[in-house]
Amino acid sequence: MKANVEYMYKSLRTRFYSEKKIYLISLFFVLIADGIGEIKFHLGSGIIILFPVFYAIILGVLSGPQVSKIINTKEVQAASKLVIVGICPFIVKLGITAGANLDMVINAGPALLLHGFGNVLGLILGLPVAMLLGMRREAIGACSSLNREYHMAVINDVYGASSAESDGSLALYIVGGMIGAIYFGVMASFVAMLGWFTPQALGMASGVGAGIFMASASASLASIFPAHAAAITTMASTSNTIAGITGIYITMFIAIPLTEKFYKILLPLFQHHHILRTRGGRQNAL
Amino acid sequence: MRYKEWIFLLIICAMGTGLANWVGYGISIQKSLPGLIILTTISVLAVVLVNIIPLKLPIIAYCSILGLLSAAPFSPIHTWVINSANAIEFAAPFTIVGSFAGLAIGDKLKQFMSQGWKYVIVGMVVMTGTFLGSCLWDSMTLNLTKLL
Repeated sequence: MKANVEYMYKSLRTRFYSEKKIYLISLFFVLIADGIGEIKFHLGSGIIILFPVFYAIILGVLSGPQVSKIINTKEVQAASKLVIVGICPFIVKLGITAGANLDMVINAGPALLLHGFGNVLGLILGLPVAMLLGMRREAIGACSSLNREYHMAVINDVYGASSAESDGSLALYIVGGMIGAIYFGVMASFVAMLGWFTPQALGMASGVGAGIFMASASASLASIFPAHAAAITTMASTSNTIAGITGIYITMFIAIPLTEKFYKILLPLFQHHHILRTRGGRQNAL
Repeated sequence: MRYKEWIFLLIICAMGTGLANWVGYGISIQKSLPGLIILTTISVLAVVLVNIIPLKLPIIAYCSILGLLSAAPFSPIHTWVINSANAIEFAAPFTIVGSFAGLAIGDKLKQFMSQGWKYVIVGMVVMTGTFLGSCLWDSMTLNLTKLL
């Protein structure tokens, strides 16, 4: 590291003193969440599995400055820097699974490299719904991707940070943070139960978006197909790694131009649609 | 962040993983220890690589690639790495990430509520569409790959 880098804390000691509450409370949440363990609900022919990580997320939100105020706003910001640290060992673990099944990765090589184009269906389904609900330019930011950090950076870069598109992107980022992990886990298990897709393809599809989405989806899938757990986690982790690299370019050169085109086609259809359109435009964003 | 800070924070995370492995899956800390050491060490190596390699890749890409290389058949330590990592349950490292992530969005709850149902619906449609689209696309490319 360069000598002129500005650090957030003066030293490790100051970091420890200002963040110790976060460490303690997080470890305490692990104790509670894993103490409760996985809970399975049978729903018709399907199962919904609740993972300890879901309880930990909920406990985290509830201790925040807007509910029980155990954690203040400064600590909230510190915690957001810790997410990436925590995700590292988890991704290493997935990488090890992939390495142990290297032949599978090599066999699926071309498919893995092309992974990411499937994202297009998200905007095709999402944009009409968003516009029907009265969103306009902000729908472009909201629907062009899953709006994780790197997607949001692209939208901010293309449209500017104070644009309607960036407002839409930020709104979806927040929604994703709140419900994304839980929704991805449940949704993946429902899609799996359709019986249309192989465990490999399901595993690969889990790799779209954030690491936390991938983990949740692949954990659910691995519980549904215990015999294919290694295949699922291998495909999920490698496709997630590749999506992290190609995702920026896919958003920039494919998803955004396509969303723009589709928006122009849809706009006349919704132009006179006043029923759901409250005061229109930006008020609906943030 | 300084290397010292990374190492310290990764040890906190390893404590969380060990705890989850023990409380949630009944695997003793002693049995988890080699796996925890491997996960932490490789993560530290990834941090070092991010800093010295000028390529603009996210840190998790290095984590994944280093994990893969250490466990690949040509790695001299691959059996040890795989066996040690196997003692760590898949979701165990993940609970503490959830704690951090939950704490990190604690100040956005009101904003989330005020976004209202519209963005939640759009979010669910986009997530479902992206997942389904990827399933369809990946099934197709996987089948094409098999044909080649």
